[in-house]
Amino acid sequence: MGNRVLVVDDDPDVRLFTTTVLEENGYEPLEAENGEDGLQMIRAEQPDLVILDVLMPRQSGIRLYRELKTHAELKNVKVLIVSGITQKAFLRSQQALTEFGAAPVPEPEFYLEKPVEADVLADHIKKAIG
Amino acid sequence: MDMQIKKLLFVTKFEELGYDALKTLLSLRKAFLEHIVFLYVIERDQVAMQRGVGFKRDEAIRQKEAANIRFIDWAERLFVQGMEVGVYIQIGSLAAEVAKAVQKEEADLVVIGRSQKSTLEQFYSGSTVTELIRRLSVPVLVYKPAPELPFAMGKPFDRPLLATDWSPASLRAVDFLKSMKPLIQEVRVVHVVDQESIEGSSVMQAQKARKEAKQRLEEICARFESEGIPARSHVYVGDPKEEIEKALRECQATLSVLGSSAKTNWVERFIGSTPRHIAEKSFFPTLLIPPERRHNGG
Repeated sequence: MGNRVLVVDDDPDVRLFTTTVLEENGYEPLEAENGEDGLQMIRAEQPDLVILDVLMPRQSGIRLYRELKTHAELKNVKVLIVSGITQKAFLRSQQALTEFGAAPVPEPEFYLEKPVEADVLADHIKKAIG
Repeated sequence: MDMQIKKLLFVTKFEELGYDALKTLLSLRKAFLEHIVFLYVIERDQVAMQRGVGFKRDEAIRQKEAANIRFIDWAERLFVQGMEVGVYIQIGSLAAEVAKAVQKEEADLVVIGRSQKSTLEQFYSGSTVTELIRRLSVPVLVYKPAPELPFAMGKPFDRPLLATDWSPASLRAVDFLKSMKPLIQEVRVVHVVDQESIEGSSVMQAQKARKEAKQRLEEICARFESEGIPARSHVYVGDPKEEIEKALRECQATLSVLGSSAKTNWVERFIGSTPRHIAEKSFFPTLLIPPERRHNGG
């Protein structure tokens, strides 16, 4: 198996789609169904890439992304956001949190708005981790 | 007692509880609200296995996608205000799914809606509401569209009216409202002396009952005022269901707040009770405060 990729998404259909794309392209998929579980898995499994949804129960992708990018040991984990929430709304949300006093975070390097075709997803994963 | 509202579960079928309602609840941010969780329940009987039809997968997908699109739009508007947002779209029975979501999310308040034109049962059957209340240990706000009144309704927590029957839950409601201090302009505290309880009494006895009630209400007002919340008391006499509605209008209240007795099983006390009647029939949003018990949603 190749690089390990964690898929954090509450929708089981999306997780199935994404993990299938990952397996077909030689990656090892891991799964979490919300931001809280995702963070635990990132700490435990240290994946090469996190494919992150935004709108989820327990903890959103906005908060999880922020936790990752402000964490000394986790800030270099690569993140590909795949969400129905637009990139513009994501960036404005992070900006709002920063205005409320939270630490600034870098913009995500990779962002795809759902729905996503399998080949587009595979291309972005390849760009992120090869 | 910690009764801060940090996380709110917003249960919607869209037609009765939309983004306009949500916007008025955003004032709760002044009282610590930071996380809103949406719940849409696809009722099992709408998509369940039926002879000759089976599981209506297409209908389930249609409803799920329609709800998802609405929630994404709402979430974007809330995220950009710095709010945390979550979503559940579930197939099942409403009360069970609400209880599950409250437990998973550790929500502090549940908001459900009621149409202006119809009774609560048309959206949520009476038995569903009773079941919901039975399962939950957190307050439930039954939200209603603004009625046509000769005064501006404002936001729900602007001018709450606490109708107390001296039960532990109605006293717990005092603590709850105190935690809403940043939102509240004034609280009215009302007790209804049941007409039946003073029938056959002398004028002197009836006056004594009124005076005693007024004294107890003033003690509750003093608790609010010690926190810097203006409060006024009122005694009414008659049928509690009618008198509370009358008080809400006369006081130009924006919310009725009711607790329920914990002397016996709450749901038994609740069925056919004043709180349930007010929640279902009143024009005013109604906040139901359960008695203190185990701290979980289920």
